Amino acid sequence: MPFVRRYRDLNTNLDALYQDIKKELQQDKDLTIANETVGVINDVPFKSIIAVRASIPRAITGTLREVTVTIAGQPDDWLLEMHTGAWFGNMILPGAGGFLVAGPFGAAATVGGTVVFAAEYGRKMKNRIKELVKKNSGKAYSESKIETFIS
Amino acid sequence: MPFVRRYKNLNTDLDALYKAIVNELQNEKELNIGRELKGDVNGVPFMSVTANRSTIPKLVTGTLREVTVTITGEKNDYLIEMHTGEWFSNLAMPYFGATILVGPLAGLAAAGTTGLMAANYGRKLKNRIKELVKKHSKEKYTDEKVETFI
Repeated sequence: MPFVRRYRDLNTNLDALYQDIKKELQQDKDLTIANETVGVINDVPFKSIIAVRASIPRAITGTLREVTVTIAGQPDDWLLEMHTGAWFGNMILPGAGGFLVAGPFGAAATVGGTVVFAAEYGRKMKNRIKELVKKNSGKAYSESKIETFIS
Repeated sequence: MPFVRRYKNLNTDLDALYKAIVNELQNEKELNIGRELKGDVNGVPFMSVTANRSTIPKLVTGTLREVTVTITGEKNDYLIEMHTGEWFSNLAMPYFGATILVGPLAGLAAAGTTGLMAANYGRKLKNRIKELVKKHSKEKYTDEKVETFI
């Protein structure tokens, strides 16, 4: 599930923020940077990075598959999108804590304590990005400068 | 938006199906294969391929960013998941065909007919996968052998 935030009036160093986010992704041993797209679209600066899981997971359902972070805009008006993809995320039965997967797939859905789940990783990364936005902004961070769009 | 299908009793050559899907992704000039994972998870065979957009798009909102196709299971009981990712999809207002972006960011949302849109690509690939499943299955394909989870 992606989330998008619009940040205004923060005078953010977007290049430095992007590099910090890239470092954050590189530090995760389960992830490999697969693609970076940096350029301008209709005069709007645009940077996007995708990190993918580098190894076979121990369980599939809900496990982190890839992370994409995109930054677009200017220091005082920009958007950040983060998407965390999970394998077979729509086979989870919310509320029941169980899986739809049965038979030979039961094993593939096995939950273990050491698995990196997309939902947990997304929550952690969202908090880390907030810290990095504060670090790389020339003006005080406040909730009134931020708008969040969730689909 | 991902979609998942479970296929039963088709006696499908999953290796051949996977290779055909990889070829399909390679045939799209805007995409590069970014990662392939093959192995097994707790004894269940597992193959996954991700292709990323290789170029800067002409517009952003709704444009195809990456595609992942995963096959897991055995020839007579397996799952295929397809995920197509798009940039800033949740900034699009589906009923108005417009976006909420204004001011300096409006350029990101400029609509055009030349963009490789995730929704269109996903629909096309879904149909193509159906053809490939039929091609690589020894048993007859029928709707009751297929279950779709959205």
